[in-house]
Amino acid sequence: MMEPYGPSAQPIEVLLVEDSPGDVRLTQEALKDAKVHINLQVARDGIEAMSLLKQEGEFAKSSRPDLILLDLNLPKKDGREVLQEIKDSPTLKSIPVVILTTSSSNTDILRSYMLHANCYITKPVNLDGFLKVVKTIDGFWLSVVKLPPRPQT
Amino acid sequence: MNLNSNLHENTEWRAKYRGLLEASPDAMVVVNPSGEIVLLNHQAEKQFGHLRGELPGEKVAGIIPQGLAERLFAETMSQQSRSGIELNGQRKDGTEFPIEIVLNPFETAEGILVTPAIREITERKTAEKHLAEMEAKYRGLLEAAPDAMVVVNSSGEIALLNVQAEKQFGYRRDELLGQKIKSIIPDGFAERLVADGTRTAAEALAQQIGTGIELIGRRKDGSTFPIEIMLSPLESADGILVTAAIRDITERKRVEDSLRNSEERFRLMASGVKDCANVMLDPEGLVVSWNEGAERIKGYRAEEIIGQPFSRFYPAEDINNGKPARELARARVSGSIEDQGWRVRKDGTRYLANVVITALRDENGRLRGFGKITRDITERKDSEEHLGKTMAELKRSNDELEQFAYVASHDLQEPLRMVASYTQLLAQRYKGRLDSDADEFIAYAVDGCNRMQGLIQDLLSYSRAGASTGAMHRTSCEDALARAVKNLQATIEASQAIVDHDPLPAIVTDETQLVQVFQNLIGNAIKYRGAELPHVHISATREAGEEWIFSVGDNGMGIEPQYFDRIFVLFQRLHGQREYQGTGIGLAMCKKIVDRLGGRIWVESQLTKGSTFYFALPAGEQK
Repeated sequence: MMEPYGPSAQPIEVLLVEDSPGDVRLTQEALKDAKVHINLQVARDGIEAMSLLKQEGEFAKSSRPDLILLDLNLPKKDGREVLQEIKDSPTLKSIPVVILTTSSSNTDILRSYMLHANCYITKPVNLDGFLKVVKTIDGFWLSVVKLPPRPQT
Repeated sequence: MNLNSNLHENTEWRAKYRGLLEASPDAMVVVNPSGEIVLLNHQAEKQFGHLRGELPGEKVAGIIPQGLAERLFAETMSQQSRSGIELNGQRKDGTEFPIEIVLNPFETAEGILVTPAIREITERKTAEKHLAEMEAKYRGLLEAAPDAMVVVNSSGEIALLNVQAEKQFGYRRDELLGQKIKSIIPDGFAERLVADGTRTAAEALAQQIGTGIELIGRRKDGSTFPIEIMLSPLESADGILVTAAIRDITERKRVEDSLRNSEERFRLMASGVKDCANVMLDPEGLVVSWNEGAERIKGYRAEEIIGQPFSRFYPAEDINNGKPARELARARVSGSIEDQGWRVRKDGTRYLANVVITALRDENGRLRGFGKITRDITERKDSEEHLGKTMAELKRSNDELEQFAYVASHDLQEPLRMVASYTQLLAQRYKGRLDSDADEFIAYAVDGCNRMQGLIQDLLSYSRAGASTGAMHRTSCEDALARAVKNLQATIEASQAIVDHDPLPAIVTDETQLVQVFQNLIGNAIKYRGAELPHVHISATREAGEEWIFSVGDNGMGIEPQYFDRIFVLFQRLHGQREYQGTGIGLAMCKKIVDRLGGRIWVESQLTKGSTFYFALPAGEQK
C-alpha cells in the first residue's frame, strides 16, 4: 500500500537545480516553514543534476526526487537540455519539473512547455515575491497535488 | 346624330376653320369619327387630284385607303396628337404616293374631330431609298476599316459612320446620323467641305483630298482628344460625299511630347552646364569641339586638344587594352553607352569619371561622330563612401548600444536581486535586534535596491521597446486603449480617475506597442494630477489622409514649455523621487515606440491647466 505524503510520512524528496548559492539559500529559507517535511537536494549544474537523477558515481546512493525545481541558465549543461533529457527518459519523465528562472522571455516559456515542463515560474525580483513563490510551490506541488507513486525498487 | 346636317347649320364654325386650313402649307383634311371628310383645304384637293366640293361627305378611305380610318377612333378617344405616321395616299386617277400624316384631334361644339395634316414624301422616300442602298454598299467597307470612319455630305452632315466611330466619340449611331460634323470635330473639317466664294467646287474637292490632317475630336462627354484625319471625296448622286478616316493619336502625341522634352533636356544639359565636359568627336574619335567644362575637368585648352584623339583622356593601361576604341564601337552599335572609371587630366592626375558617349547620326543614319559627356565624380564618390561608412558606423554603434542596454540591464538584475533579497531578509530578521543606526542603514540599502530594480526593469523594457517590432496588423485602437486601461485598473480606481475617449480608428500597427504608449501616457496623466480628480480624454483625428493624430489630454498639473522636449529624453525627470517616484523612462519609451512605428510624439501644456500629449501614426492603409 502507498504511504500518503504528509508530516507523519517519509519526507518528500525535492531536487533543486540551481547554480546561485544565494538563490539556494533563499529557497532553503523559504522552505523552512513548509507544511511538509522536505528533503532538499541541490545540484549546482546540469551535469550534476543528470548524474544525480541517474544515480551515477558519487550520487549512487541519492534518492529519486518527487519534484524537480529547475533553473534554465546553468553552467556546463543548460537547464533546457536537462529538461529534455528528463522528459526523454522513460524512467524520469514522470517526475514533475517546475522551471524556476529569471528569464521571462516568451521563447523560453514556450520552449519549456513544448519540452513538457510541468510549470514555469519567473523568479520575482524582490524577497517577498520570491518567498511567496516558494511557499506557493510548497503549498501546491507538495500539499495539493497528488504526485506520481514512487516506483518500487 | 347627323353630324353633317349639324355642321351645315353651323356656318360660323366652318368659316373659322377654313381660314386656318388654307393657311397651312400641308394638305389638311378634317374628318369626323365615322371616317367622313368634313372639310379640306386647297392643298388637299390639289394633292389628291379632286375638284373642290367632290370630297366633303366622302369616306376618307377614298383618298387614304389604309391606316387612317382605323386610327381615327383611337386617336379621338385619346385626344392626343400623333405625328410621323407614314401611309400611302391615292389620287383620283388611282395612282398612289407616299405620305406622312400628323393626326390632330380637337374638340368642337359638334364633338371631337380629327385633322390629319398630310405631306407628300415621295422625294424624301426616294432619297431615303437611295441612301439605304448606298449605306448598304459602303457599310461593309466602313466596318472593315480599323479606323473610325465617317461619311459626310456637302452640308457638313454625317451620312454614315462605323462602329469604331461610335466608340471613339462615345455616341450611338442614331445620335450622330444627320448631325453636323462640327459636333464631333469642331474645327478644321467642315470648312474644307464647302465651296465658298473664294474657291471653286473643284478647288474645294481638291482640298478635301488629304492625309495626316491633325485636328481635335470631341466626345459626347465634352472631352477632347487629338486626331489625325484622312479625307477622300467621292462624287455621288447626292453631291460630293467625303469619307474621313479618323485616328486617335493621343498616344503618339504623348510620345512625341516626351521625345521633344528629352531632346530639349539633353540640349540644355549639354550646353549650359559647366561641371561636365561636353566634347564632340568625329567618327574616328578625334576631338572636334570642346567646352568650358571640359577644360576645367581635363585641363586642356580647346586649341591644344581639338584634332587630338580622345584616347589620351584614358589611363595607359586602358589605352593598351584598347578600351577607348571599344567604347566608340559599343556606342556605334547600341546608340549610347555609359561608363564609370578612371580618366587622366592633362597634368597626369587621375579622376573618377562618369562618361556617356552617344553616337550622332544624320537623317540617313550615317555616323556623323560622337557626343561625349564626362562628369568628375571623384568627390561625389568620396562623399558617398564617407556617408555610407558613417551610416554603417552609426547603425553599428546604435545596435551595440541597444545590445548593451539589454545585456547590462538583464545581467545587472541578477546580482542586484541577491543584494536586494538579502538586505530585505536582513531587514526582516534583524529589525530592532541591532541598534537604531543599523535599522536606518538597512532601510536606506533596501530603498536603494528597490529604486535600482525599478530602473533596471524600465531600462530593460526600454531596450526591448520597438526592438522586436512584432507583426504589423490591422489593429483596433479602441481595443488597444481598452487593454491599456485594464492594465491600469488599480491605479485608475485608487485615484478615482475618469478615462474616456472619442471613437478611435483601426490602423495597421503593432498592437502591443500601442498599448504600451497609451498605458504610459494615461499612467502619467493620473500620476501627475492636478487639484481636481483626474480626467483623461483620448481622441484621434485624421490628418491630410496620411496619418492619424492621437491625443491624450488631462486636467493635471501641466508642464512648463521649456521642458516640452526634455521630458522625452531618457532618465530626464522634472520631479524628485520624494515627490513622484519614477525612473524617467516612460515618455522616452513612448517616443522610441512611436519613432519606430514611423510617427511623431509631442506635448502641448499649460502649467496647472493640464497637458495634452499627441502622437501621430501612419494611417497604414492596406494597399
